[in-house]
Amino acid sequence: MTADTNRILERLAAGVEPVRPLATPWRRAAAWCGVSLAYVGAVAVTMSVRRDVISTLSDSGFVVEQMAALLTGVAAATAALATTIPGYSRKILLLPLLPLAVWLGNVGQSCVQDWMAIGPQNWAIAEHWPCLVVTIVAGALPSVAMVLMLRRGAPLTPGLTLALGGLAAGALGHFGSRLVHPLDASVVVLVWHIGTVLGLCLLARLAGRHFLTWRSLVQAAD
Amino acid sequence: MIDHGASNDRLAALMRAAQAGDAGAYVQLLQDVTARLRRIVGRQRQFLAAEDVEDLVQDILLSLHAARATYNPRRPFMPWLLAIVKNRLADGARRYARGPAREVHVEDLDVTFLAEMTNTVTEVGDPEALRQAIEALPAGQREAIEMLKLREMSLKEAAAASGTSVGALKVATHRAMAALRNKLTS
Repeated sequence: MTADTNRILERLAAGVEPVRPLATPWRRAAAWCGVSLAYVGAVAVTMSVRRDVISTLSDSGFVVEQMAALLTGVAAATAALATTIPGYSRKILLLPLLPLAVWLGNVGQSCVQDWMAIGPQNWAIAEHWPCLVVTIVAGALPSVAMVLMLRRGAPLTPGLTLALGGLAAGALGHFGSRLVHPLDASVVVLVWHIGTVLGLCLLARLAGRHFLTWRSLVQAAD
Repeated sequence: MIDHGASNDRLAALMRAAQAGDAGAYVQLLQDVTARLRRIVGRQRQFLAAEDVEDLVQDILLSLHAARATYNPRRPFMPWLLAIVKNRLADGARRYARGPAREVHVEDLDVTFLAEMTNTVTEVGDPEALRQAIEALPAGQREAIEMLKLREMSLKEAAAASGTSVGALKVATHRAMAALRNKLTS
């Protein structure tokens, strides 16, 4: 058995090639965000940006929601990438919590206000499949890019890592879809936009152990 | 502490050189790390046999190699290594816990049989007659025989699978064995 270990050492040393150390999670998240935002912008332009986009910029609720979604995406991406670095402080996991709380709180507050303004009898959750489709399309490339970046790291916590990656991609998808979709009804945003993001997170979490494995990393390094 | 710091610096320097493609530095690093890993894994997994400890050490070495790009040259080496060790030990523990359920233990017999005793042919009877006799059993007894004797399930597993009690299974098995013995010897 020790002889086997010695053979492994010899094989690893004989095949060693220069590797470029991964950049810090912050830098990698910034690069991911740059590429993803360019794509989300292109999707928004292709699907036609909502006509009232200029006037919505004066709506503080909309601006806070969009900024919080964007910051949630960046923070979740940084945390996801950091979880693939052995020995990185776990405190980074707290990073997305604040923008996420602001984002959900903002939408939740709008829901409460709508509820009080129009009453429960008029508060129906209509079907808005286009919201879901636009969020998924806008989040597609960020998702793929995130998975590719995460696969270069160590699969220490695959489920958590991909859930954070899913949150990051979903938040940017939401950011893009709100630039396209003209509806500002809070319950629609809550159910169809944020529901899609959370669904994406859940799916990503379940897929974690299949996409991020030591076996695939070791095979790729061979 | 000073020794640990100096050792950590030396390992970090070796890892930086290895990341740059220096095979000699990589051999030194791996040899040093292997000795440490044997101590760490042996201490944390005292209940494991030596070959299982060595398997874990090899797993960790392969993981270290595969993840070497994740090492930040400006950070200390040991926390990075220990995070991988902790993760791989947890994976190993999960595998170890699952192992017995998936393994079939067989006698460690020689491939060839020199002793005359081992070459005697055992009377196995007529398998077709046995199959027919089992099929002719009442449903409850047949199910008990299939689960406990053919599929080698434990009494608990068989009771859970069939929804009956362990006692009922024992009785059904006893009656089934008696019926089979009668049928096959008559």
